[in-house]
Amino acid sequence: MSAVTVDQVAEAMFQLVKETHGKKSLKATDLTKAMAEKFGSECTKDVCKLAIRQLMDSGRCIYSYFGGSYITLPPETP
Amino acid sequence: MSEKKRETPLLDELEKGPWPSFVKELKKEAARPMVQDLLGQLERSYEEKVGHWKHGGLVGVMGYGGGVIGRYSDLGEEFPACAEFHTMRINQPAGWFYTSTALRTIADIWDRHGSGVTNMHGSTGDIILLGTKTQELEPTFAELTEHGFDLGGSGSDMRTPSACVGPARCEWACYDTLGAVYDFTMQFQDELHRPAFPYKYKLKFAGCPNDCVASVARSDMSFIGTWRDEIQVDQEQVKAYAASGAIDVQKDVCDRCPTRCMSWDGKTLAIDDVNCVKCMHCINAMPRALAPGNDRGAAILIGAKAPIVGGALLSSVFVPFIKMEPPYEEIKELIGRIWDIWSEHGKNRERVGEFIQRIGLGNFLEQIGLDPVPEMIVAPRANPYIFYQDDVFAQPGEEA
Amino acid sequence: MSSAPRKTDIGPPHFEQFLPPVIKKNYGKWKGHEIIKPGVMVHVAASGDKLFTVRAATPRLLSIATLRLFADLADKYSGGHLRFTSRNNVEFLLSDPANVDPLIAELAREGYGVGGIGPAISNIVHTQGWVHCHSAASDASGVVKSVMDELYPYFAGTRTLPGKLRVAFACCLNMCGAVHCSDIAILGVHTHPPKINDKDVPKMCEIPSVVASCPTGAVRPATVDGASSVEVIQEQCMYCGNCFTVCPAMKMADAERDGISIWVGGKVSNARSEPKFSKLAVPFLPNNPPRWPEVVAAVSNLVTVYAAHARKFERMGEWIERIGWPQFFKLTGIPFTKYHIDDFRHAGETFRRSTHVRQSKEAET
Repeated sequence: MSAVTVDQVAEAMFQLVKETHGKKSLKATDLTKAMAEKFGSECTKDVCKLAIRQLMDSGRCIYSYFGGSYITLPPETP
Repeated sequence: MSEKKRETPLLDELEKGPWPSFVKELKKEAARPMVQDLLGQLERSYEEKVGHWKHGGLVGVMGYGGGVIGRYSDLGEEFPACAEFHTMRINQPAGWFYTSTALRTIADIWDRHGSGVTNMHGSTGDIILLGTKTQELEPTFAELTEHGFDLGGSGSDMRTPSACVGPARCEWACYDTLGAVYDFTMQFQDELHRPAFPYKYKLKFAGCPNDCVASVARSDMSFIGTWRDEIQVDQEQVKAYAASGAIDVQKDVCDRCPTRCMSWDGKTLAIDDVNCVKCMHCINAMPRALAPGNDRGAAILIGAKAPIVGGALLSSVFVPFIKMEPPYEEIKELIGRIWDIWSEHGKNRERVGEFIQRIGLGNFLEQIGLDPVPEMIVAPRANPYIFYQDDVFAQPGEEA
Repeated sequence: MSSAPRKTDIGPPHFEQFLPPVIKKNYGKWKGHEIIKPGVMVHVAASGDKLFTVRAATPRLLSIATLRLFADLADKYSGGHLRFTSRNNVEFLLSDPANVDPLIAELAREGYGVGGIGPAISNIVHTQGWVHCHSAASDASGVVKSVMDELYPYFAGTRTLPGKLRVAFACCLNMCGAVHCSDIAILGVHTHPPKINDKDVPKMCEIPSVVASCPTGAVRPATVDGASSVEVIQEQCMYCGNCFTVCPAMKMADAERDGISIWVGGKVSNARSEPKFSKLAVPFLPNNPPRWPEVVAAVSNLVTVYAAHARKFERMGEWIERIGWPQFFKLTGIPFTKYHIDDFRHAGETFRRSTHVRQSKEAET
């Protein structure tokens, strides 16, 4: 059983994307690695995958492409 | 403004000649302002000898990170109707088979939402719907899914897998390429639509070593059909080829065999099958007389790519032979292990072939738990710069 | 957006629904095939059933008007069944041989000639070029059209070849068409380092990513007018455009210095010899729209010389390996230059490390 929920991970990912916005672009693998560091081994790749999917399906984040696919904030977010 | 007809004297030159003309194709849709302006901008490129597209990275359909290529004109004020000109990649049916109804469905959707211009197909295999505005992406996607179509890949994801015509129309197909490509595509929908890799990952399924989908040059993982038993020979048909004069069995077949494993005495074609490397030449030359054996499967090769970034690579043998039978569990697990290691340690824009070059094929095999076999190489190393590890002290049969 | 639940991840339609009945019945049970005439082949199943394929050229870029035309022709002649090939030809899948000639006649009237099967030149696999690409060093469709107009007899079967000849076109080194294993590869090239827009670099690009993108380490961080940007060590740049892909402020396109290179002797098939890369034949030809006469002449010359000298079944690369590269340059009249000698990683592997040279008196002069 995973103690960390998809919601928690999604929220933590969103905060990280917000903090680094405009400074460093993050890829899905960067977020997954950062979450593993933050939450430990209970935060599996599958949990991270679902968290990213939640961020995308809710429209809080979008994918961007510049020579690679990144996860970023939608343009209208201040 | 964008209603006006663009003059295209340079492009008009390309309406002449016997080969079908892309300019004529564009003009068939020229009633649309978007295509009229596209013609205008293209004519400008022909005058100036330079392209006028910018890359743009923030368009897509909700939830997906692939399948839409953002494109904007750098002459948007002059050619406003094609100022936004995004591409949608639609996952093609396996083997590029259609019915007239399916083709009309695609045409009708693109009539309503886009430029009316397509590519059948793009280099990776997708149906390419060429040119639409951002606001049309979601409605187009909704209609496509309504009719059973979905987007393909782009960016750092699994790209749309493709396959040769396979057993649908080819006597040389050593496995069901169409069944396999459909199965793997469905299995990895998430990896296709939500980019999570260091860079792209392509799968191509070729039914025999003729490799009609160029998998050895163009895919990170190439599934090339082959066989383990004897070439099937119909000696009567060999004699018929010889008698017809169309084929000189000695010169055109035996002498062209790469391992010289065939001989012909005018009556019987003898094959030393142990030394046959399944190149297909003799079968290609005498299709009515020869056929691949019955113990069929595929060789899996890994790591092909075009030059960017670290130079072009052909894929190389990874699994010399595997039976290609649904549900392909063993292969899917293998792919999962490759993706895990590469995603963990690969650099941005580093294809798996480049990753293997960087860390070494031996190390890569160890990481994913595959044993090294001599079929993987042309020759063992000639340089003595070996990174020894403690396992060299283990005795044969002993765990290191 | 509609109120219906949003459908995602449904994948492509299952191919089986698009297969003609004769294929469904004989799936995996084909016995053999024969090329009946240019652009037409028959496949015979173990059951004795026959499938007739008519292959027609397309420019790859197709209007929906043409898709509807193909659909109409399929309804009329092939029970509504058709497919496209990996080289962008269209194929009509017929059960009734009586429909073959009327279909060919109608395709010809509409401007889509048939051919490209067997030892012939099939369609040129190509990229988007100026029609849609941001990094193109040339147009794609225009060059392909010009070259295929010239090579058309080899497609239509009025002129024949010793073996298959695969031509491919890519408009920059990204090679979306993966042209690097083709008998003849036509490749758009930039020949000058990117022009850096220092104002846009900090806005549009992440400097560490741009620096990391360069395969030769030519891009370095720099401060320009007090702001952070990048600089390119000119002599280390080989114009691949990888930096432009990650940073739009590093523009590659250059009207005067972009052009076309030609490569030969690659193949992907395992037949006889192993798959191989294409090698440089012509380092640079100018972009000369709308008809690119220099490129057409160079490709035509290669095809003519190959057709005259190769043996039956021999691909371009196999022929060149048999006669040797010095003879190739002599027969084609293409000047050999320093650009033909590799100087990237593992270049030494392409140097001749033996005395296996076909000596001739002419070589002295």
